[in-house]
Amino acid sequence: MTPLLQAHDLRRHFGGVQAVNGISVTVNAGEILGVIGPNGSGKSTLFNCLLGQIAPSGGQVLLDGRDVTGWRPCDLNRLGVSRTFQLLQVFPQLSVLENLILAGQEHVGSRIGRLFGPRDAGLTASAERMLARFRLQPLAHARAGGLSYGQQKLLDIAMAFMAGPRLVLLDEPAGGVNLTMLGGLRDLLRAMNEEQGATFVVIEHNMDFVMSLSHRVICIAEGRIIADGPPAEVREDARVIESYLGT
Amino acid sequence: MLWDNIDLLIAGLATGATYALVATGFTLLWQTSATVNFAQGDFVTLPAFAIIGLHAAGLPLPLALLGGLVIALIVLGAMFKLLLVDPMLSHGLLPLGIAAIALGVALQEGTKAVFGAEAFPFPSVAGGFDLGPLFVNWQDVLVLGAALIAVAALQMFLARTRTGRCMQATAQNPTVALILGIPVKRMVMLTFLLNASLVTLAAVLISPAILVKFDNGGSIGLSAFCAAIIGGFNQVRGAIAGGLLLGVLENFAATYGPDQYRAAVPMLLLIGFVLFRPQGLLGRATERAV
Repeated sequence: MTPLLQAHDLRRHFGGVQAVNGISVTVNAGEILGVIGPNGSGKSTLFNCLLGQIAPSGGQVLLDGRDVTGWRPCDLNRLGVSRTFQLLQVFPQLSVLENLILAGQEHVGSRIGRLFGPRDAGLTASAERMLARFRLQPLAHARAGGLSYGQQKLLDIAMAFMAGPRLVLLDEPAGGVNLTMLGGLRDLLRAMNEEQGATFVVIEHNMDFVMSLSHRVICIAEGRIIADGPPAEVREDARVIESYLGT
Repeated sequence: MLWDNIDLLIAGLATGATYALVATGFTLLWQTSATVNFAQGDFVTLPAFAIIGLHAAGLPLPLALLGGLVIALIVLGAMFKLLLVDPMLSHGLLPLGIAAIALGVALQEGTKAVFGAEAFPFPSVAGGFDLGPLFVNWQDVLVLGAALIAVAALQMFLARTRTGRCMQATAQNPTVALILGIPVKRMVMLTFLLNASLVTLAAVLISPAILVKFDNGGSIGLSAFCAAIIGGFNQVRGAIAGGLLLGVLENFAATYGPDQYRAAVPMLLLIGFVLFRPQGLLGRATERAV
């Protein structure tokens, strides 16, 4: 079976700095892949190259075996790839409900329909279901910019699911989320994976979170993959301990 | 005395409503493309001259108005964005601001070269009605009504339509809007076209009161710029409130104070707001982590 996502010898340099240095990785449908590594190791640059936000200097990105290297993020989004960001990226002046509708509306109807169709694009019901799933219902009409950091993080993740994506790239979903919310978030992502078959690639520094969520983990250091395998195996890998986890 | 003040208030609101239109354009351009259009005042002058020129060439007034709008959409909307803002934006806000000032000068000198330095009358609505001891001009009612309807329609469009929400999303977070598939470039172009429509309406409404002259843009642009900042710059509703407040205060200041200081009112108000309420009337104070 063709992997959902493949990167072959992906490279990206910024001047003399080789941020991504020949990374090859595959992600199978239904898999949760964890990505760990020290700050500045190239994780977010890898995400940006996979999603077309930065053009790679070399290498290839395949989605369902189709070459999508350098495609625009919006085109990949239409193919069912969505992402969240390390730093919060919501529409602060719009309500929580409007943020969710915006995240899905460009996937609904024709171009003409988008111009003249209903204001909510028929997405209010699914947005409300998403609010319930992420326990944000009481905040549906609150301004997104007024939510707490953890709530905005949940909204950001919920937005990534509004278009029914096949592949979601989550950049530090646990960052800034309190411990009570964290367990719920992990269960939620796991449920999305098991019930909807959603595939995740998750960058995360919270080891307990990423190790307990992921089916497989890769560790990146200085733009290269130094370990790839089941979470327990990667955690014990001498190179990972030396370059990232410490003793 | 009371009726005199009501008269001043109505006239001030009418003037302020036109400032609000121009200030709203300032705000929209800033929100969607980080453009501070220092030529905005001169943008008001161009459609006024275009309408006068088309009318003088024999077109009936409604067609001349329509022609003025079309010219504004092409020149002040599409061409302004494609030929000046897009190439300059990558160089930063300051070069873009300077380029806009240069465009303003070019528009002034261009209209002066074609139409000369004289002031032209602009068609207006004659007559009025009695309101108690007051005589209210239909022109003031038209200006106030048309401007308020326009800004209300704009607010409705932004808040209650799918395209309006896309424009807001583009203004608030263009990176994510692009990723979500929102046609950001089209939304930004739409904003420039909206701005061109707003300045055309402002031209039609304000020109009967001030006559059309090549250098009108300076004072209109300054007042609208101050109104946008007073309102909170990043808020359409703020721009409207700022415009109305400024129009009323200008009128009262000119009546109860020395007339020659009327032009200083926007600047004094601006200084006051920058000192004591820098976020403006409806803006939100933001903190910067250091």
